[in-house]
Amino acid sequence: MFRLAVKSVKHNPKRLVLTAVAVALGVALAAATFTLTNALSGGFSKLFDEIYAGTDVIVEEAPDELGDSEDPFAATDAIFAHGDVDDVAAVDGVASAWGGRQVSGTVLAADFEPSNDVMAAGGAPSQIFNWAGDPRVDQATLIEGEGPASDDEIVLDVDAAPRLGYALGDTVSISTDIGVEEFTLVGLVRFGESNSLQGATLAYMTDARSAAINGDDGYDQISVIVEDGADASAVAEAIDEILPEGTRAITGEDKAAEQTAQFDEILQYIDIFAIAFALIALFVGAYIIVNTFRIIVTQRTREFGLLRAIGVSGRQLRTMILLEALVVAVVSATIGIVVGYLGALGLSVVVEALSGEIFGTVTLPIDAVVWGYVLGALVTIVAAIMPAIHASTISPMEALRESATESKKPLRLRNIVGGALTLLGVVAIVVGLYMGIEKPYIPVGAGAMILIIGVTLLAAQVLVPLAYALKAMLTRIFRVDGKLAANNIHREPRRSANTAAALMIGVMLLALVATFTESMKSLVTEQFQGNNADFFVFSAQGAIPEGALEVIEGEDGVAYVTSTGLGTVLLDGEATAVGVIDPDTAELAFDYNNEPDFDQMDGGAFIDPSMVDAGFEVGDELMLEGAEGTATLTVTGRYLNEGDAQVWVDEETGHALLGDYPIVQSMVVLDDGVDPEAAQDQLLDALAVDYPLLVLQSPGEFEQLANQFIDLLLGVISAMLGAALIIALLGVANTLLLSVTERTREIGLLRAVGVRRRSIRRMIRIESMVMAVFGTVLGMILGVGLGAALVRALEDFGFTTITVPWAWLALYTIAAAIAGVVAAWWPAHRAAKMDILEAIAFDG
Amino acid sequence: MTTTVTLAASMRGGTKDYGHGDAAVRALDGIDVDIATAEFTAIMGPSGSGKSTLLHTLAGLDRLTAGQSWIGETEISALSEDKITQVRRDKIGFVFQAFNLIPSLSAKENITLPLDISGRDIDPAWFDEIIGILGLGDRLTHLPAELSGGQQQRVAVARALVARPELIFADEPSGNLDSRSGAELLGFMRRAVKEFGQTIAMVTHDPTAASYSDRVLFLADGRIVDEMREPTADAVLDRMKQMGH
Repeated sequence: MFRLAVKSVKHNPKRLVLTAVAVALGVALAAATFTLTNALSGGFSKLFDEIYAGTDVIVEEAPDELGDSEDPFAATDAIFAHGDVDDVAAVDGVASAWGGRQVSGTVLAADFEPSNDVMAAGGAPSQIFNWAGDPRVDQATLIEGEGPASDDEIVLDVDAAPRLGYALGDTVSISTDIGVEEFTLVGLVRFGESNSLQGATLAYMTDARSAAINGDDGYDQISVIVEDGADASAVAEAIDEILPEGTRAITGEDKAAEQTAQFDEILQYIDIFAIAFALIALFVGAYIIVNTFRIIVTQRTREFGLLRAIGVSGRQLRTMILLEALVVAVVSATIGIVVGYLGALGLSVVVEALSGEIFGTVTLPIDAVVWGYVLGALVTIVAAIMPAIHASTISPMEALRESATESKKPLRLRNIVGGALTLLGVVAIVVGLYMGIEKPYIPVGAGAMILIIGVTLLAAQVLVPLAYALKAMLTRIFRVDGKLAANNIHREPRRSANTAAALMIGVMLLALVATFTESMKSLVTEQFQGNNADFFVFSAQGAIPEGALEVIEGEDGVAYVTSTGLGTVLLDGEATAVGVIDPDTAELAFDYNNEPDFDQMDGGAFIDPSMVDAGFEVGDELMLEGAEGTATLTVTGRYLNEGDAQVWVDEETGHALLGDYPIVQSMVVLDDGVDPEAAQDQLLDALAVDYPLLVLQSPGEFEQLANQFIDLLLGVISAMLGAALIIALLGVANTLLLSVTERTREIGLLRAVGVRRRSIRRMIRIESMVMAVFGTVLGMILGVGLGAALVRALEDFGFTTITVPWAWLALYTIAAAIAGVVAAWWPAHRAAKMDILEAIAFDG
Repeated sequence: MTTTVTLAASMRGGTKDYGHGDAAVRALDGIDVDIATAEFTAIMGPSGSGKSTLLHTLAGLDRLTAGQSWIGETEISALSEDKITQVRRDKIGFVFQAFNLIPSLSAKENITLPLDISGRDIDPAWFDEIIGILGLGDRLTHLPAELSGGQQQRVAVARALVARPELIFADEPSGNLDSRSGAELLGFMRRAVKEFGQTIAMVTHDPTAASYSDRVLFLADGRIVDEMREPTADAVLDRMKQMGH
């Protein structure tokens, strides 16, 4: 049987080419992602090794009990006093202990100009530390000049100095929380073995200066070198016993492993994300496979009938078809894995040329191979099952029949199953979106999938009347060509429906995302309608320095500045996000979506919908426990948008709970009659001296910026869906190609009675265009519908208006029509150049 | 032939080779043929005699290797593919042995297909007359799959007639039919020639079919070896036997 299957594939490989391409594309997407994330993981694990492996033991804050998401590169609070360092140094087996401190700031380039541009102000981060002078502690070796000996000296890493335009002896500016600080560059260091910093800038200053900038002479970490022959983990345990609560000692090796593991966890999400898109692509590919095998089975009815006649059982026939599918799957998965690996390799070369070395060795991970074959084989086999079953029911009599026309089975069963699935899908989606289930994406995702299959099945029934409705129109416009094209679509409703549905899936997702993002834009616009603020202040470094706000408040024409801070507190032992506002001014600057307004806070707290879901209500008492202290607050109101902060408090409470909390956003309100544009220039000039990285956006600019981000989101997802759309178009081309082959005689006859090649081409093109547009329209209806349901479900996040992305929909329709013509190019060409004599030649 | 007859189609020195070098086969060997208007011409010959090739090249479905051929006054051996297609569309009708009809079109749509293609209007009186003669009145809305073999072939004849072509080529039109349906079909074709002055050239290897024609051309090895006027089935059969068929 296997030999027969292989021979059959070999005998007519052309009809399986596009099927193989479809599977290979999907597999390639998965393989490329696995290869890239594997290489990234390798690169970062090397980085973490270099950061931590030189140090024998690291003493640091214990993993955050407040459940902060830990950013391995961010500066942490000073938690160790000088006495703690001495205590650690006195522990048995410790050769030396150093207090380490990170300074939050950005090393400015020599030619830096303030730009008020959010995108440009970011850039690669700076990592600034106090200098120990011991490579095992600093993880950096001085390779030129000297270490920072006096407080106005600094060293940079060897790559950053030329990149930022500094040479030894130059004055280096650093933007910090207390303003722009200046230093003299006295030395260059190399980080680890190869200075692979993934694009970041590394700088070291004296201990005293770093303490002055941070405004705190404590340390956030203690690095320990053990005595020769001492066991690092034993020493770590000994240190642990004398440490204050909330801190820990860990060996450098363990720390590196822990960081790598955390990073891999993040990468896993990328893998899952990419596999989701690969699955979408393969799901679309499955439609092509179904169609291809269905057509092949029809074309080979006589052959199968003959095999049955000479004693091959139906089951054997079925096995043979599935084996053929397996052969296709293995071949195309292999191609896909190789292509994916090469693509990842190429991409890594390009990325590294642009942004420096961030990947480890790019090797083909076993994950990529396993997933590639499993996905490829699974999709192909599952898709071939129905056609295989169909083949197994062919009776030996078929071999003797005159023509190989597919028997016109009624669509009733298909309609019943389709209708049931559609209903089931809709129910699952509604349950997922509105019932407040724990993991709503599971019923929603499954529901969407079932809905798609249901609609695909129903599409066959919809296509029949639609093709007839279109027939009159197409006949009027394109005469016979149009009529024949409409007839062809209608003749094989299953096949046309499957083909159109493949495109439908891609377009549906596009329309869904477009509906969501356009509604998000409406949300942004609405939010700005209640806005009184003249400017929004942002910092590219994260938090906005207090000093900067003082500068703004001190300028003429500024009425007041109101700020939002963020922190984390414990509520009944649960980490809870707390937002801090000034109740007197916040509501004046911005019309928050709350009940009542913030100025009614009265020293209490406002809670968001997630808290309401958790059972809290106005009038309840909240026991909040922060890093600085605890507070018992009465709930005085509700904040109606989810996702910003769970509990809102005033500034006094904020300080009592959190001490100094980071300010994430500030709003500036000007005096009446002050020209905003002139004021913006004035404020930026004032900020340029000490806080050049701060950005001041007018509401218009801010809205535009927000919309840019939303468009970027749409762009990224559209690009990821590209593979699915390409596969869908291949599907249209494939179906047409096979049906052209099937219609050889008919096309030959048309040519014989005088239809020109041009007309034949046009006929195929119309057919393709109609199928493409039909799939697109179906996809748009589903996509906008699902998008609207999604927006409704996210009401708690502030969504109020469902915006139908008409412009995008129009664009998609036009694109679909063009794509249809493009997809028809090869089949139309094949049909037009068909030899008439061959077409009308008879077997007898 | 005492009077000058107008020619519907003709060929001079028609030569057709298939393949190259040693594998080359000469299907037509410098053939001269005239198809007179308003006559029913049958082309007979054993398998491989070149009769199908003659029909295909005369009709412009295939090109001659050497020589010339005309449809009416038009020399089609000198025309581009597009122009030949136009000639076929406007001047020629076809009836094949099988697969004559577009499966997705109804009988009526199949019949009017040549007119639809060229954008000409249907002459309702002529259409009704043809339908009446061929007895297709109650079958017009049916799809080909719903028609019997004989009915399908009658639809094909109707299609060939409806555009009033200068010439109809028929390739074994009754080859797939039982003898009664075949006789009916050939009877219709003969009536078309006699009553409407239609010109028909038909390839066949069936002496009975040939007996419906006015004139039979006998082909062997790519040449015309004989000709017979007012044939009968027996006479044709005898002649074929002599040719070693």
